[in-house]
Amino acid sequence: MFEQPLPRWLGWAADPEQARRTPFLAQSPLFAGLPRRLLARLATRFFEKVYHADDVVFEEGDPGRALFVVVEGSVEITRATTQGPYVLNTLGPGDAFGELALIDDFPRSARARVATAGRLLILYKSDFDALIEGNARIAVVVMRNLSRLLALYARRNPLAPEVGPGSEAAGPL
Amino acid sequence: MSAARLFAWAGLAALAWLARGLVLPIFLAAALAYLLSPALVWADTLAIRRSVAVGALFTVIIAALVIAGFLLGPGMFAEGAALMDRMPGLARQIDTGLDAVVRELGESAPAIRRLLPEGGHWVQRFVLDRGPSEPGDLFEHAGHLFLLAILIPFFAFFLLRDMHRLIAVAMDRLPPQHVETSVAVWRELNGVIGRYIRGVVLDGLVVGALAALGLWLVRVPYPLLLGVFAGLANVVPFVGPLLSAAAAGLVVVLTPGQGLAGVGRVVALFLVIKVLDDTIIQPFTIGRSVHLHPALLLGSVVVGSHALGVLGMIIAVPVATVLQETVRLLLEHRRVLARRVRRRDPERVVA
Repeated sequence: MFEQPLPRWLGWAADPEQARRTPFLAQSPLFAGLPRRLLARLATRFFEKVYHADDVVFEEGDPGRALFVVVEGSVEITRATTQGPYVLNTLGPGDAFGELALIDDFPRSARARVATAGRLLILYKSDFDALIEGNARIAVVVMRNLSRLLALYARRNPLAPEVGPGSEAAGPL
Repeated sequence: MSAARLFAWAGLAALAWLARGLVLPIFLAAALAYLLSPALVWADTLAIRRSVAVGALFTVIIAALVIAGFLLGPGMFAEGAALMDRMPGLARQIDTGLDAVVRELGESAPAIRRLLPEGGHWVQRFVLDRGPSEPGDLFEHAGHLFLLAILIPFFAFFLLRDMHRLIAVAMDRLPPQHVETSVAVWRELNGVIGRYIRGVVLDGLVVGALAALGLWLVRVPYPLLLGVFAGLANVVPFVGPLLSAAAAGLVVVLTPGQGLAGVGRVVALFLVIKVLDDTIIQPFTIGRSVHLHPALLLGSVVVGSHALGVLGMIIAVPVATVLQETVRLLLEHRRVLARRVRRRDPERVVA
């Protein structure tokens, strides 16, 4: 009822950044299926940060505490192998990474480096937890989407082989 | 460290010293901002511009205060005026009563007579002499209060409007690789402090309303004033409920016709409120925001009282909670880093 966009005559009071964020998040596979009013609530919990090319978002083994969504630019996900760093995936606008931090506090399984300068949205686990306390549907939808992504990754990599040249693209981090 | 940097730090320290008077208003403004922030989160979900949302929120608050003033003001004003009228008589009654207690104590236990304070003029010595003595002092105190009443909403307005910008600036200053962990720690602490402040205020409102209603039902004079006092005093752990019960008890003692039965009713009322507060109200209001061991809770209040008086007692619990949470998060961080070492070099760890 409440979280509807402002009527046209109240356009002067609208915050363009927030208004843009909700439809942008709706495009991300992780948030697919969330109704607009819940997406609007979720959108308020994100922080936005500008990253320069070659900035490291997190290293493999770092504690995972947040989920990232690429708004602008691109992010390269790499994993250390015996032959050197191996690029698992390159993510663009709308792609999310670091999503496993919303589930557990295990170390990051790969390294994220900004390939092209841009902006990232950051959602901290504590904020997500606080939000889903009163909005169980957000938790259900996000966890269902995350399970789908994990299932997709598991089907592509049935024996969970060592990552290296020839293996499939990166799964959830 | 270069001379220029040393000068800059010295300048900053001098500036901080000169602006020390602003610490209390900024602290109270931050508490007010925490209290009001859920309304702004709701405005954010509607994609309303921050400045518009904060302006509208303050307009609503001012309107609510005006309406509350119209509804409750006359009753509280009448109670306050009646209390002021009775003040000289009350002071004499308190002096006589306390003199009698000290005399009785001295007669029944001569060994402690030396330890007892001298009798007479209790109210003058312990209340009036500690307050402003000159009319000039009174104006100065009133001026301070007026300044606080202006500065607190002023700072709270700008904190609410610009905090997200300050956070964005701070995040841009942090090394990119440390943004995740450092801001995550701040977000957790921010959540704890916010929940605690909102919980304490809600708890104070409920306790104050219950006290006012209960006192009115047991026919204690000045129920509104005593209820407001009980709500405010409830912010101070342990001591607050005792103080509000003592104040109501004192009013009963000094009211003709109430007698010991009246004191018993007040004690029973405040015991019931305390039990309700601990078992039903606090779990709903403060809930899981504070996980301090009772000994640590009491210790923090005592240390706060010694360091900063009443203000120290009020901020003791959130400060102790923040310290405890910081230590917990640091230990958790170390545990995760140790897990990383084990993953990278399992043989070394096993060895």
